[in-house]
Amino acid sequence: MRERVLKIRKLTSAVILTITALCALWGIFWLFFVIFDVIRNGIASINLSLFLETPTPPGVPGGGLKHAFIGHFLITLGAISLGIPIGILAGTFLAEYGRNYRISKVISYLADTMITVPAILIGAFVYAIMVKPLGSFSGWSGSVALAIIMLPVVIRATEHMLKLVPWTMREAAFALGAPYYKVILQVLYPATRMGLLTGAILAIAREIGEAAPLLFTSFNNNFLSYDMSGPMASLTVTIFVYAMGPYDYWHSQAWAAAFVIAMTILILNFIARIILKGGKHYY
Amino acid sequence: MMNNVELEVKNLNFYYAGCSEPALKNINFPVYKHKVTALIGPSGCGKTTLLRCFNRMHDLYPGNRYEGEILFRGRNLLAPEVDLIELRSKIGMVFQKPTPFPMSIFDNVAYGLRLRGIKNKKELAERVEKALREAVLWDEVKDRLKDNAFSLSGGQQQRLCIARAIAVEPEVILFDEPTAALDPISTGKIEDLIVQLKEKITIVIVTHNMQQAARISDFTAFMYLGELVEFGPTEKIFTNPDKKLTEEYISGRFG
Repeated sequence: MRERVLKIRKLTSAVILTITALCALWGIFWLFFVIFDVIRNGIASINLSLFLETPTPPGVPGGGLKHAFIGHFLITLGAISLGIPIGILAGTFLAEYGRNYRISKVISYLADTMITVPAILIGAFVYAIMVKPLGSFSGWSGSVALAIIMLPVVIRATEHMLKLVPWTMREAAFALGAPYYKVILQVLYPATRMGLLTGAILAIAREIGEAAPLLFTSFNNNFLSYDMSGPMASLTVTIFVYAMGPYDYWHSQAWAAAFVIAMTILILNFIARIILKGGKHYY
Repeated sequence: MMNNVELEVKNLNFYYAGCSEPALKNINFPVYKHKVTALIGPSGCGKTTLLRCFNRMHDLYPGNRYEGEILFRGRNLLAPEVDLIELRSKIGMVFQKPTPFPMSIFDNVAYGLRLRGIKNKKELAERVEKALREAVLWDEVKDRLKDNAFSLSGGQQQRLCIARAIAVEPEVILFDEPTAALDPISTGKIEDLIVQLKEKITIVIVTHNMQQAARISDFTAFMYLGELVEFGPTEKIFTNPDKKLTEEYISGRFG
């Protein structure tokens, strides 16, 4: 009788193990499939003129995506300069000044929820509050949309990092007669700088591959433009347009752009990991 | 005798936020100038709570409430109009765990000086050196002042924190179990240091270590359940206390 029970247990264990392993394989297979496809097609299509040349007229093979690289860079730069300072300051409020208010918990919770809000909703939101009133698509509105996507990541990372610093470190600074803002600027930020940097990098990695929020905001532009107040090309929207387009050279340029973005995200995540692991923690 | 009193606690009650029962009940005793006063008692008796009244540390957390007075040079330091930044520059504090800031050894000691607006490099350097010498740390760190303070050992970090506290030349330093996290050798160094410091600075120290209180303090306050049971010269408290409770605690029968 005992042997029978043992047999059943072993059988159940084997079945569960097989099922979970198959599920893992199923997931990993597609993940690697996508990445390898991007790498294979991307490497085949990448060349120097992709970065250095502007597009040829539609249907004429050649040219490059310089306009999209520059546009993407400018929009991202705008998003970073909006999203990261605001995110860090908001996270600081939640962890420091506002730590005893109920509203802070509500905001933290909302920030967690916002991380999973579909990006296209944020695009539509910025379209309504910025593009429509101002009357045109613009690089700035693209930056705002991406900044909103970054915000919850930066807020939560900042809040989390600051809360890891033991209270005694703050008390030690207060005991020397430091006002709160100096404690934050001179003691807490330096103590958490690696964590804050990691949060910022992860937030950039989060937004840099987004196309949906840009469709409604920075839209697209077939020409090289440095004017953030007008429509602007971006890599992700260009990938979307080129991939749907009829020309083979568009497809290969889209692959190359996808490869560049995927690698950028990979590298950013990698850097964040290294910083988190290797960085000294001063508390 | 009055002239020798640095701090005088008068009818002090203290309530933590949301508590109707006071954590400190009607505390009265003097802290004598340039002496070491030890606060002893079992865990939860209120000695750290009392210590943190002297520099108004409780004000950091909303809802905490004081009643009564602590006179510091004739003025009640618990009065709402007291400038806490100024108060804390006169009454410094050293914590149980070393609390260096994430900056260089030099900048740690200079931190309080810079807060007070001292920018002159020469003056900063001089006062940092003086503080480090007084904290008997100078010889160990003089060649590495630019190193991060976290590269120091625990005992060194604690002496660095003492240097940081004395750099601003306070009248009083509060020690909250300063050796609880240290090995016996580091503890010995800190104890020697405290005894030296009292030539210029009044010291209040919370300690769990009865021998430590006996070794370094001139006066001892024994607390139990938020009340001051007995206060007097350390020798008397340890050899011939008035209260039975004090004697039982000192002799290790409870606590």
